[in-house]
Amino acid sequence: MFQALPPPPPAIEAPPPERSIATETEARVAAALTEARVKVDSSFRGAAIVLYGAVFNPDDAPTDVVVVVRGPDEPLRLVRKSRNMGVWLNSRPVLFEGAPGFYMTASTRPLGDIADFGQLRRLGVGVDHLRIDAPEESRSVTRYGVRDVVVSRLGEDYLDWRRAVIRLKEAAALYDTDPDGVEFVDRGLFRAEIKLPAVAPTGRYYAEVWLFQEGAPVSVSNLTLTVEKVGFERDVYEFAHRRPWTYGVLCVLIAALMGYGASKVFRRP
Amino acid sequence: MDIYLPIAEVSVNWPLLVLLGATVGFISGLFGIGGGFLMAPVLVFLGIPPTVAVASQASHVVASSTSGVISYSGKGAVDYRMGGIMAVGGAVGALLGVELFRYLRLLGQADLVVALSYLVFLGSIGLLMLKESLTAIIQRYRGDAPPRRDRRRPLWLYGLPFRMRFPRSGLYISAIPPLALGVFAGVLSAIMGVGGGFILVPAMLYVLRMKAGVVVGTSLFQIIITTAITTVLQAGRNQTVDIVLSMLLLVGGVVGAQYGARLSGKFRAEELRAALGLIVLLVGIQMGLELFVRPSDLFQLAPGIAD
Repeated sequence: MFQALPPPPPAIEAPPPERSIATETEARVAAALTEARVKVDSSFRGAAIVLYGAVFNPDDAPTDVVVVVRGPDEPLRLVRKSRNMGVWLNSRPVLFEGAPGFYMTASTRPLGDIADFGQLRRLGVGVDHLRIDAPEESRSVTRYGVRDVVVSRLGEDYLDWRRAVIRLKEAAALYDTDPDGVEFVDRGLFRAEIKLPAVAPTGRYYAEVWLFQEGAPVSVSNLTLTVEKVGFERDVYEFAHRRPWTYGVLCVLIAALMGYGASKVFRRP
Repeated sequence: MDIYLPIAEVSVNWPLLVLLGATVGFISGLFGIGGGFLMAPVLVFLGIPPTVAVASQASHVVASSTSGVISYSGKGAVDYRMGGIMAVGGAVGALLGVELFRYLRLLGQADLVVALSYLVFLGSIGLLMLKESLTAIIQRYRGDAPPRRDRRRPLWLYGLPFRMRFPRSGLYISAIPPLALGVFAGVLSAIMGVGGGFILVPAMLYVLRMKAGVVVGTSLFQIIITTAITTVLQAGRNQTVDIVLSMLLLVGGVVGAQYGARLSGKFRAEELRAALGLIVLLVGIQMGLELFVRPSDLFQLAPGIAD
């Protein structure tokens, strides 16, 4: 996990924000973060970053703002417990890919009211539309004469598994859906808060700020956020991963020396 | 008062960790055990990933055992020859155990095997110790004459080749049983994150029938070597040793171990064994319960992806 792969691109490539005179006739959103780098040091207990932005809306039609933040992808393995002869046993682990290590949405209204299912699915907005998937479980079969139909070995339980991924991440405060997390502080001026728990993965985060009008996205602003270990925390982490054997020997030596030292200090005269 | 642990990647309350280290160190010094079987479950309960907890507390075991061995060594209560042979076995066992643990993690069955090992080993050892020591205590109160100890050792101990003299233990037996015992403790050390003292001490007492006085010191000596090797292997193979976590546990642990060792002389051996038996049994039951209690969520994350 040390040399992390380059982070995946956001779910959809958004056009660069318009900075032309078109602004005067088209609705547009612009946003910024109070902090673009989150430093993880020994006092890190999570962080709250404020995202603020402005909506330029020349024709006064009602607009909705949706903020989506996704962290680096983290494949994860899930087991299901089942009872066999009175004992709870684990199933074979299932590998899920495409699940970001952190994901949150904040919006002015519940996502379902802002845009329809297809639109959200296409943009990959909302936990239900994340492309979480168990590729090792799927295979192509021919069904009803149709070739290359992808089915999952998990069968009908597939949705249960996928929902469990989201539920477990939500329980760890890594996934969050806040239907009124975007708050308008003034006409055209909004803010939203990104709450990173202490267990949030390090790496590059992508924030997308979507502007919806009548159920369709009209503008997007893309931001990035970096969460990284700094100072002592980073040094220890890098040492442990670059020279793992030296690190291990050092740990043991320190432990033995401390034990030795204590017995000398406490020796009765 | 919270500190972020660089390898475990969680934020924990550090005075709590120091206190935990001190408590386990105290128990470790008092009973002459590594104390790992107590530490790992508590660390997991505090939210530290199990793999990191198991690997990081091993160095706590090294420190508290070192400090224990030094005080026992001063009393001439360590059989280095016996301990050395068991440690060789322990090293082999640790190598096997770390690989076995990786394989079990891959299968997603690591937590199951850990829970089962705790239940079976701690449960049975705890029960045996409790029964034996309570019988001894009751007999003493009734004023019965202590039963003549059966000094006969199992015959197979003598039938095996490679006999060696162990003057400090008062034994002249084959090197194979201590070696095998070491291997077994090494495997447990890697899987359960324990030193294996709770297995070694009774086995040395009741199977090998070593002199009771040298049992604890010798087991601590072998534990140091086995857990030191486990720590290096866990760091090298799995990168799961968190030095900050280890240090916090150590600071309390070494001090606690000193006080524990000092206090141990004030109790009768069977009373200590009864108390230890009870602790061992309770931890075993507590850990084993998860096999029988319906989990709050049927789905659970399985650790270990990268390997």
